[in-house]
Amino acid sequence: MQEREEAEELVTPGEVLGKGSQVKAGRGAYFSPQNDTVYASLTGRRSLIPPSSLSSDQRPTVEVTGHSAHGAIPEPGSIVIARVTKVMARMASADIMCVGPKSVREKFTGIIRQQDVRATEIDKVDMHLSFRPGDIVRALVLSLGDARAYFLSTAKNELGVVSAESTAGATMVPMSWTEMQCPLTGQIEQRKVAKVAGQA
Amino acid sequence: MEFVSPEGLRLDGRRPMEMRQIRGEIGAVAKADGSAFFEMGNTKVIAAVYGPREVENRSQQISDQALVRCEYTMANFSTGDRVRKPKGDRRSTEISLVIRQTMEACILTHLMPRSQIDIFVQVLQADGGTRSACINAATLALADAGIPMRDLVTSCSAGYLNSTPLLDLNYVEDSAGGPDVTVGILPKLDKVTLLQMDAKLPMDIFENVMQLAIEGCKAIANYIRELLLENTKQLEYRRGP
Repeated sequence: MQEREEAEELVTPGEVLGKGSQVKAGRGAYFSPQNDTVYASLTGRRSLIPPSSLSSDQRPTVEVTGHSAHGAIPEPGSIVIARVTKVMARMASADIMCVGPKSVREKFTGIIRQQDVRATEIDKVDMHLSFRPGDIVRALVLSLGDARAYFLSTAKNELGVVSAESTAGATMVPMSWTEMQCPLTGQIEQRKVAKVAGQA
Repeated sequence: MEFVSPEGLRLDGRRPMEMRQIRGEIGAVAKADGSAFFEMGNTKVIAAVYGPREVENRSQQISDQALVRCEYTMANFSTGDRVRKPKGDRRSTEISLVIRQTMEACILTHLMPRSQIDIFVQVLQADGGTRSACINAATLALADAGIPMRDLVTSCSAGYLNSTPLLDLNYVEDSAGGPDVTVGILPKLDKVTLLQMDAKLPMDIFENVMQLAIEGCKAIANYIRELLLENTKQLEYRRGP
């Protein structure tokens, strides 16, 4: 399948990309209903994406890809890496550090509620036996949450604490999905441990 | 006073319909998301754009569009006589407002709800037409920040002295007390986003003067477009294949 067709060219905001009857406005472009025209809204390369053969709308989509790199932003369904900042009786709050493989540029806070910690026996979860402040957690973004924080979930085998420090200050080794052990003191601490791929 | 000599030359040697030399530069403030430097003759301004980012003051948050803020300041050393406290006076508040409204008209604010965009412009050297230069610098900085815009906004002033329409007034011509028309347009959409005039003009002359200012805006828009394309090419070249 041919992904991009037609020669790409540089455009600046306000340049006409085509008629509304012939193309659809994608990212970096907008459609003005007054004169039925699609204009560019960013500076960058123009590209035409052919319509998928399934959709009834057979107009190609015109996009402008800019150069400026905006930081990654968490959205529902994305896997994030977060650092736990506070553990309360019914929820734990965490600062999101990475979205997928990209690090974020601004501060985003997330909340793991008690019912989202694990998939089974969700009402018996003790937050203090699942997370500690400072733990690095892999979590799934459930929703945009309230005005303050994203709602995160660790209710999957591969989600949960991926790295934690013991009271002695060493990085702990996972033992089971609920326990981690300190290599220095041999002390066992309770966590909701993630099953990291490539680990038995 | 004679602003246009019998030979048809202005005080600084320009023809009536001639603009001062314009020059722009993208990326003047490393920390900002977008920034630019713009000069029109001896008027030099710097603009920095931050955002879209989270709204600082939650009570100002708008649920369906971005909040645009603008701050205009003049450097202490920008004018001939040093100003002691230039911030927060009526003139700068008014120009801040004017620039904010002009930029807001071109930014696609509905794409970035609950966020805020800050535009800071500072005049480094003032020689008339600071308002226009600030708008041009802000456009360039917004485009550099990758903020979606309907079109570039460009601005230019024109005046009417010695029964001659003059393009792009400098400080001496500006303070002559004659009519001074500042126009801001969206050049490709052919729309006016800013129109200000001090003093009065008959209707037919006003139309001529405004048309002259619009021509100036279009020339600036062409220059800014070239600058942006050149900058994008440079960035792509540096990034490599």
